[in-house]
Amino acid sequence: MVSVELAIAGLAIGAVAALSGIGLLVTYRTNGVLNLAHGGIATLVAYVYREMTVEWGFPVWLSAVIAMAFLAPGLGLLLERLVFRPLARRRASAAETLVASLGVLVLSLGMCAGIWGLGTRNDTPSIFPDERVGSGSWSIEVDTLSTLALILVACVFLGVVQNRTRFGRQVRAVVDDRELAEMSSIPADRVAAVGWAFGTTLAGFTGVLLAPRFGLSPYGLSLVVLTTFAVIVAARLSSLPVAVLTGLAIGIAQSELTQFSVTGVFADTYRTLTSSLFVVVLLVLLLLSPKLRELGGDAGSAGRLSSREAPERGTLGERHKNLIIIFAGIVMLMAPLFFGAADLRKAFLVPALALIFLSLVIVTGYSGQVSLGVAGYAGLGALFSLKLEAGEFPGLPEMPGLLAILIGALLVAPIGLITGYPAIRRRGLALALTTFAVGATVTVFVFNQPDLSVGVYAEPLYLGGWMLNDKAFYIVEMVGLGLGLLAVYNLHRGRLGRALVAVRDHTEGAAAVGVDVRNLKLLAFTVSSVVAGLGGALLSHSTGSFSSTQFEPMQSLLWFTAVVVFGADSAVGAIIAAAFIVSINVFFPEGSSTLAVGILALSLGWLPGGLASAVRGLVRFVALRLADEFVEPEGTAPRPRIPSQAGVLTPAAQPTTGRSPAAVAPGGGVTVDLTAVDRVAAARGLTLTPFGRSLLGRLGGGAPAAALPVAASLPGPNGASPVTAGTGTLNHPEGGRP
Amino acid sequence: MSRAELRAVGLVRRYGGLTAVDHVDMSAPPGMITGLIGPNGAGKSTLFKLLTGVEQPDEGAVLLGDRDISKLRPDKRSRLGLVQTFQVPSLFTSMTVRDNLLVGVENRRRDYGGGLFGLGVRKNPSHEQVVDDMLASLGLSDLADFVAGSLPTGALRLAECARALCAHPDVLLLDEPASGLDAVETERFSALLRRIADAGVAIVLVDHDVDLVFTVCDQVYAMVGGKVVAHGDPATVRANPTVQSVYLAQGSVAA
Repeated sequence: MVSVELAIAGLAIGAVAALSGIGLLVTYRTNGVLNLAHGGIATLVAYVYREMTVEWGFPVWLSAVIAMAFLAPGLGLLLERLVFRPLARRRASAAETLVASLGVLVLSLGMCAGIWGLGTRNDTPSIFPDERVGSGSWSIEVDTLSTLALILVACVFLGVVQNRTRFGRQVRAVVDDRELAEMSSIPADRVAAVGWAFGTTLAGFTGVLLAPRFGLSPYGLSLVVLTTFAVIVAARLSSLPVAVLTGLAIGIAQSELTQFSVTGVFADTYRTLTSSLFVVVLLVLLLLSPKLRELGGDAGSAGRLSSREAPERGTLGERHKNLIIIFAGIVMLMAPLFFGAADLRKAFLVPALALIFLSLVIVTGYSGQVSLGVAGYAGLGALFSLKLEAGEFPGLPEMPGLLAILIGALLVAPIGLITGYPAIRRRGLALALTTFAVGATVTVFVFNQPDLSVGVYAEPLYLGGWMLNDKAFYIVEMVGLGLGLLAVYNLHRGRLGRALVAVRDHTEGAAAVGVDVRNLKLLAFTVSSVVAGLGGALLSHSTGSFSSTQFEPMQSLLWFTAVVVFGADSAVGAIIAAAFIVSINVFFPEGSSTLAVGILALSLGWLPGGLASAVRGLVRFVALRLADEFVEPEGTAPRPRIPSQAGVLTPAAQPTTGRSPAAVAPGGGVTVDLTAVDRVAAARGLTLTPFGRSLLGRLGGGAPAAALPVAASLPGPNGASPVTAGTGTLNHPEGGRP
Repeated sequence: MSRAELRAVGLVRRYGGLTAVDHVDMSAPPGMITGLIGPNGAGKSTLFKLLTGVEQPDEGAVLLGDRDISKLRPDKRSRLGLVQTFQVPSLFTSMTVRDNLLVGVENRRRDYGGGLFGLGVRKNPSHEQVVDDMLASLGLSDLADFVAGSLPTGALRLAECARALCAHPDVLLLDEPASGLDAVETERFSALLRRIADAGVAIVLVDHDVDLVFTVCDQVYAMVGGKVVAHGDPATVRANPTVQSVYLAQGSVAA
């Protein structure tokens, strides 16, 4: 039962998807970048186009020419030059490139949201006249016809360029091995730039063609564009004809589905299918096709996103410092309790969001997997807990709010387990796309179903018969955050933590000594989904009702980017990120936080490891300088000496190069305490500078013991670290020893 | 205690039209060092991958004791007692050497799931003890608290070997363990391997350094073109005409 009319109607969407797919493929083939920002660029170009036609009154053709011939390719060139060329130059990992493209996506969405707001605009004029050609059931919209023509032109053009021209050969050489191509004097940068310009131009077309149909909104339109990834996944990121045919086929199939209708329980599900076939196909393709597992290399192993580039060595002193930081953090988090009512309510969002970010820390920072579907799990946690509270959850009795929050979050676990099972078998971009597709599917089939998610309100919470006021609710949230931190703590310490870090550091090596990599990843994934669910439940309680916009798929990408920016393996970073985003949204217009995260994400090129590592680096730098003031630098040994062979150079047995305790005679006229200071220092093989000696002397007897370990723990230029290691003052980072 | 023997029976691995491993039978008995040599492309690495579980054979079986482990993943094989090291040392770079070894000890059995919420999880003092003993016996005690990422290759090799031993292997598979080591280090390493084998562990050694293999191994398998062309004690294999022709052409086997 194929209806010609429906097929032609479906072609309209299918053709745009195909066009989008061509753009994605060209960028990927020429640069090796799976451009997640495609949707963002499409949206931005569409907004500018609308601005020119509607607000400035430019004629449609002029606006179209400016948008498509100048703006879109210009954006591509700019991105290549400023973002992706530097990454390619320093051979950045696929994970970094992925984050960069996410950064561009978030930045472009932030710009749209910042300038034009988050609302949907339905007044974007179509480029092509709204007319049909042909007759009867065989009539076709000019719009569609033109898109098809454009596809044909693009395909023929690309085919000719690739196979018949010198440039095409250059492209293939660059794709094969960029460095090698450059050595053969092929202008790789130019090839890459042309690829970007071509890709973004088609992205622009996609946006402008889709905006009149779907309405123009930052998150909505970019999501539609992102679902066209189904097309290039079907094409295995290589075949242009397959991509085009898949796009057209899904478009037609989606349209043909509308002629049937299903009644009963699945009526809504079926109706959703007729408008969301692309998402479903994307998910199914990713789940079913075994060959896609290794799609696009190893981008999903996010070990490189770790904020701890230089391994740290915890010492007693540092442990105390951590306690102080934790104490300060608790005080800061408790501060909103003294805010006014309105401000306190705004602060509700911080712990909830922090929990969602913590879930990403678990799955990305500790387990090393990219997860772009966290909003799905958070939303499910929210929905489950509210349904439980209202007694509407099938099979479970009505329960009090606090219990419902907890149970609702735990109910996400089976879903995390089921979706995590196939996902963790994938790596690289396939994993990123799979998690995204899971999140998007959940949104479409659950959150956007009016029966399930409209009119779901949070009821007041009671504890032992007392209705919780705002302050009490904030404390409940803090308890929730504490639970999340406890989960994080346990996943980071002891046997489990070591095994997780092992998997992140060297997966094969971990497997080689018996670490059950798959189950460990699955465990992390499941725990992460529960933590996200808890965050979601608290989020919906702080706003009072379930709102699907809070958990839409694009949020996942934004949140993931934010977590990476603030240090993917830093729990503190996650909390700071939440506070940062909430406060920006409070003090600045909506969308500003998206913009800020986007800018920060692109600055990751200069701050590998995120803000957390930048701050750590700064602290280390300052401490190092301070240490140099206290302790004589050892000029001869620029780096900590490491025994090249076990047993040959025992640090303790190492001659202290003429600095035996006797040689460090205390300067005249200082107190007896000083000798003690020097003795402590000498025992660690250090020599105090006159400044250090006098300062420590002035601080009195108690200070040296507290101050020295901190200084000595620094990987300073004075050989301090090996010595502390040798004398056994080190307490190691994983807390393996009492 | 009795340790299991590793055996390969009729192993075949094809890549498209190419048969990289062609009906290979081999065995690595406990207490012996078994060497695997062959020119580039002889199929050593593929055979090694089949033994470790990185790849699955198209035909044949890998047996550990009486158990067919052909279909098991590397981590499962490791827990059964088949532990490998890598060409490029695979230490967990952000951990200390001690913690690296702890990971080896702790995952011998599948028992890490217990401590999810920190309830009732105490550090197992015997694990710490195993690690300390291992560090001491390999002379690594001084490096215990160094972060693995900061160590030179020689120490890394030793530490990786220590970690593998912590997993309490019946069979130890070593992929080019001597690459990156200087002459003195190689000699020490050979002595260490002998000690390990004397403790009853079966060692399988793949290395380009033919001299090392002939010096340290009790039996040697020589592969050419995916097939085992010679097998026996080092002297026998060294005298084998095919081995002679392959290696004399490269000039690396001095008679």
